[in-house]
Amino acid sequence: MNSATSRTDALGAAPPHPVFPVDRLGAVIAILIGIALFAAPFATYRATRIASGQSRILIEALPMTMAAALALVALGIAVGAVFVRDPLGRLASAVLGLAVLLPSLGLSAGFLTPADNTFARVTPSLGFWLLSLAFSLLVVDALARMRLGPYGRLAALAVGMGALALLLLSGIWDNLSILKEYYTRADSFWREARQHLLLALGSTAAACLIGIPLGIASHRMRTLRAAVMQALGVVQTIPSIALFGLLMAPLGAVAASVPLAAALGIKGIGAAPAFIALLLYALFPIVANTIAGLSQVPALAVDAARGMGMSARQRLLGVEMPLALPVILAGMRIVLVQNLGLATVAALIGGGGFGTFVFQGIGQTAIDLVLLGAIPTVTLSFVASIVLDALVDLSRGVPA
Amino acid sequence: MIEIDRLTKRYDATLVVDDVSLVVEEGTLAVIVGTSGAGKSTLLRMINRLVTPTSGRVLIDGEDTRTIPEDELRHRIGYVIQGYGLFPHRNVADNIATVPRLLRWDRRKIAQRVDELLDLFQLDPAEFAQKFPHELSGGQQQRVGVARALAARPALLLMDEPFGALDAVIRSKAQDDLLAIQRRLGTTIVLVTHDLNEAFHLGDRIAVMDQARLLQYATPAELLMRPADDFVERLVGTAERPFRLLSLAKVREALEPGHAEGSPVAASDSLHDALSRLLWTGRRALPVADASGAVIGQVSVDGILRHGRSLP
Repeated sequence: MNSATSRTDALGAAPPHPVFPVDRLGAVIAILIGIALFAAPFATYRATRIASGQSRILIEALPMTMAAALALVALGIAVGAVFVRDPLGRLASAVLGLAVLLPSLGLSAGFLTPADNTFARVTPSLGFWLLSLAFSLLVVDALARMRLGPYGRLAALAVGMGALALLLLSGIWDNLSILKEYYTRADSFWREARQHLLLALGSTAAACLIGIPLGIASHRMRTLRAAVMQALGVVQTIPSIALFGLLMAPLGAVAASVPLAAALGIKGIGAAPAFIALLLYALFPIVANTIAGLSQVPALAVDAARGMGMSARQRLLGVEMPLALPVILAGMRIVLVQNLGLATVAALIGGGGFGTFVFQGIGQTAIDLVLLGAIPTVTLSFVASIVLDALVDLSRGVPA
Repeated sequence: MIEIDRLTKRYDATLVVDDVSLVVEEGTLAVIVGTSGAGKSTLLRMINRLVTPTSGRVLIDGEDTRTIPEDELRHRIGYVIQGYGLFPHRNVADNIATVPRLLRWDRRKIAQRVDELLDLFQLDPAEFAQKFPHELSGGQQQRVGVARALAARPALLLMDEPFGALDAVIRSKAQDDLLAIQRRLGTTIVLVTHDLNEAFHLGDRIAVMDQARLLQYATPAELLMRPADDFVERLVGTAERPFRLLSLAKVREALEPGHAEGSPVAASDSLHDALSRLLWTGRRALPVADASGAVIGQVSVDGILRHGRSLP
């Protein structure tokens, strides 16, 4: 906490030559905005979903007044990012920028698509991505400078997600190609979403159920620790697709010889091998962090607990686990973010999940379909990482 | 009363505690002193069975500790270690409540006991009960550590270098506080230290250990007058001996009739303190006052010097 404080203070302190105080990150953001406005296309227009695209710069992509308004706001933010140091002001300007930029993308899609043309596609292009990157950087930087506590970060996340949901529900983006892809397969989207979450969250939960007790036992027994860590370390080195492949043969054999297993849906391809592979990848961080967490529990506290007559169980639950919890939660954070990403690959062996759209899209050279799978995956990882980060802080946090 | 009866601890070939026997009387404070690695901590930890003896036994009020389940035994014995081992994730009140909770006292009784102990250790409950260990100074942590050990009113308190982490000024205050609390509660205490001054200051009896063996177990005065062997004699320090003796005797014991000038010393002060005052003020004698402040006689340099030689 202290080092973070002093680092931010150093950032906030006046530079040695306070004649012309320029914010370095702000300068980078301003350059990004400049490139986005004047040297990059804002959107791409395609006659059909797999046709090659034509770039449209900002003034072509939007009605004149909208384009001018967006450009003015963006330029204002660029200047503000360089000279305004108050984090609240920076945050407000970035939020304003996003509030103008995100809906205008939807307007652009409506503007570029000829009336009654259901085949034409409009996708955001480099200029849009650079602008949203610049504004998001500004938001993240401002939030970091405000040094939000865990609850503040969760609240900021909720606000951001709420705004995103509002944009999606309002229909303002409906003319964008990704949403067109979504509307043609809304049913399968939610089915794969459920499958994706089931794979990632379920395998993480199962890894905790197995990994935490295994970590506790390994912490106690040196010989077990060496064996377990070596075995799990080997699993970590197997590439994911190879591991899926390796699991096909034994699971196929199980399905063929055990009717009950087959009845439960366990077979060589599908969700079962994907689940098991994710579980195996998840075990290493969980076990390693459980061991690390228990090892950093102050030996004196454990000795005192023993001396006061706490049983082994009371020591574990009352002293060792609470003190190891932040490190174990950090392991769960790694695993959850990792598995949300890895679950994409499950689609390759018929396991379902958002990967289904990614691989279908690659097969059809339909980039919009790839994004329909990729963007929700990235969003989920992002949300999971912020939520678990906040939980780690809360578990560490002795309320001051 | 604690009887340690031929306790031995052996790890493979190394003998850590070798056939030690000693008795600590009810309500007294016994200090185990010795160089590091002498086996004093191991001896202490065999009393609450944190270390299982290789042979020998410990009787507490005549009851063999082997017949009591380990956790139950430890609930009955307070335990304080160097560094205190406070639970960093629990506040002061919860730390102190540890053993009462294990014993399933009801909540009101626990809260009452916590406040009582905080008062006893001069920590304002309103200010300190909700604080976490990292928010306390070293001296406050030490007091919370002792309060936690005393929470379930144990008749016996084991302390392993309890003042080792404190600086000199706070340490002597903490030692005086411990003595005052011990007198008040009548707790039997076994305390391990490597600091001989601490041993002489606190101990009713002192056990000197070296290389796993108990060399001598005696009152401080006996240790000075009749050291059992060369090691003990060197340990108590031949040059320091007369001053240690004076520290053990009270002004009351060298009281003479007569009237001296100057501000009086208390009859309960040590002769060491009185001599120090005399040397510093350059006087031959000072008046002596009793607890109520009334002058009851005088103490002189000559009288003190006679004591320094002839104490039994």
